[in-house]
Amino acid sequence: MIDKSAEELIVDSVKARFPEEVIEAKVQRKNRVSISVRNNRIYDVGLFLRDELEFDHIASVSGVDYIDMNEFEVIYYVWSINKKVLVGLRTKIPRDNPVLKSLVDVWEGVLYHEREVWEMFGIKFEGHPNLSLLLLPEDWDGPPPLRKDFVLPETHQERLEEKIKKLSSG
Amino acid sequence: MSIMKLSIGPQHPISAHFRFLLDVDGDVVLKLEPDVGYTHRGIEKLAEKRTYLQNLPVIERVNSYCDSAGTMLGYLEVIEELMGLEVPERAKYLRVIAAELNRIASHLYAASLFSVATGLETMLMWPINDRELILDLLERLTGQRITYTYQTIGGVRFDMPDGFKEEALKRLDYLEKRTEDYYKMLLWNHTFHMRTKKVGILRPSDAIKLGVVGPNLRASGVKVDVRKDEPYEVYDRFDFSIPTGKNGDSYDRLEVRFKEVGQSINILRQALKDIPKGPIKKWVPPIVPKGEAYTRVEAARGEFGYHLIGDGSMKPYRLKISPPSFRNLIALPHLCQNIPLADVPIIYISLDLIPMDVDR
Amino acid sequence: MLQKAKDGLMDIKLFRRVMNWGKAWSLWSVHLETGCCGPEDMARACARFDTERFGTLPFPTLRECDLIFVTGFVTKKMAKRLKIVYEQMPEPKYVIAIGHCAISGGLWWDSYSVVQGVDEIIPVDVYVPGCPPRPEAWIQGIRMLQEKIAKEGMRKK
Repeated sequence: MIDKSAEELIVDSVKARFPEEVIEAKVQRKNRVSISVRNNRIYDVGLFLRDELEFDHIASVSGVDYIDMNEFEVIYYVWSINKKVLVGLRTKIPRDNPVLKSLVDVWEGVLYHEREVWEMFGIKFEGHPNLSLLLLPEDWDGPPPLRKDFVLPETHQERLEEKIKKLSSG
Repeated sequence: MSIMKLSIGPQHPISAHFRFLLDVDGDVVLKLEPDVGYTHRGIEKLAEKRTYLQNLPVIERVNSYCDSAGTMLGYLEVIEELMGLEVPERAKYLRVIAAELNRIASHLYAASLFSVATGLETMLMWPINDRELILDLLERLTGQRITYTYQTIGGVRFDMPDGFKEEALKRLDYLEKRTEDYYKMLLWNHTFHMRTKKVGILRPSDAIKLGVVGPNLRASGVKVDVRKDEPYEVYDRFDFSIPTGKNGDSYDRLEVRFKEVGQSINILRQALKDIPKGPIKKWVPPIVPKGEAYTRVEAARGEFGYHLIGDGSMKPYRLKISPPSFRNLIALPHLCQNIPLADVPIIYISLDLIPMDVDR
Repeated sequence: MLQKAKDGLMDIKLFRRVMNWGKAWSLWSVHLETGCCGPEDMARACARFDTERFGTLPFPTLRECDLIFVTGFVTKKMAKRLKIVYEQMPEPKYVIAIGHCAISGGLWWDSYSVVQGVDEIIPVDVYVPGCPPRPEAWIQGIRMLQEKIAKEGMRKK
């Protein structure tokens, strides 16, 4: 029998523990594992990753807006200091009702990361202690800026016209 | 006792682009809430609009506080991983040289800020003056002092100028000698000990739990360095060690930075000795294939994470930047609980948070 | 001798010149960093470039300052604070806009959170281009401001 690498062992154990919830689990390359789960069970998979597989060091929480498929993807990147593997724990949620259970209880470090994803994508994290604006100006009234339907001006000319309109109106 | 709300910043000598909202009971800080976002430019959104090449100067300014080369390296790594591109050997060495010089400059800058916070003005002038020597070197190499856009997709833009090697080795020797002076002036200074020892102790378990990175994590005694864990570029060929601290207090966080300067000098000497001859740039098409990648690099302030989703066009579909200061920020409210008010600047400076980096 | 001094004080032109000289060579600057020209601010204030030669001393208390360097881009969040800081400074006060971003928005011309040029918020006296400008350029900016002050009338603006 061939010895399995640490990455493959992680994939196998996650698949064995959550056969229903895990949609896809694969080794991307050396030190990278990607686990895609159903959005209602991300909390349990997170707890399993932390407690059983030593994924302890949160690296990043990133949101992606797939506007064509009408869904958001949230990816938690967690590094394991002992195993030297980075896992991408990903889940998809519908764009019309973006609600996800917060993983603050699992990894305390995601506190600001989730706040940022909330303000940039409008994804609501249930159970997060303080979902308020972090980076945006406090009087921000536009849509969440990182959504694909928030469009920036294309040319200098557009920007200039906008400015003139603003000056002439007020 | 009544609790008073206090707001410090953004115009304050210690909080450059920050605001701290403090709950103070007499002289004791009960709670600190950082108010960030004063330098938020929306780089992640802008990156989606610009092409990969146009993004170079934009990404570089995520952290232009003396660490442009280290910041940029991660962006190039992630693109090159998606493209499956192998960069020429000489370019790899040149990239490492620029990044390590930047690391020294950044740590010297941090040391000088630290001395201002503790009121030791001499050590404000010395490291800044020595940093100029490093910036001179970088200027000879890249043509700019702070923001270089030196590394580019597929290599670097310029080769090493004549006489650069000799000059660099000379200056590194000087800097190594100079580090002893720093120890005498700052790190072995009794006043400095009184201000920084046992101030803001970050336990290793807390540091890991909060996701703290870089020298701050290593100062708590956790041996994590991307250059060793996942060697990128040519870091696996160099012989260097990872300095760690014992107590995880503010003093250790500065000492680790000074030790890292020593290791950077070490790496630079090896890189300048081993650098092979050859081309410095490879021509690459400006299109990145479809796919997804996450890379990590060790910049001066800690681990930079870049998450890129390419859709087969000239522009990124999504570029997520996970900068070190954003991840270290959470340690600030954690450490500022039930401490004297006078310790807040020390803890803030010791974490070496750069607001640009937090806000993007 | 006494008469001469008395005449000098009465001479409005000479008086103005002395006053302007005083204003020009004691430009204390506020410590307010807005963007990423910050490291160069440190460099120009410290040993090698040392703008204190020209009387420009970085000073923590804004109530005693007459100069504000707008170092780089100004975000919408910062813009309000910048205005408050500017209004708190005593007259006469001067503004130097440092870097492309402070002049016109620079690299962030299409960003949703950056102000397109600091002159939308406060009046600017000298513009120093560059990204970031070298400390020599900062010094040139200070010298240009001093020349401007020397030509000033009794009342500013």
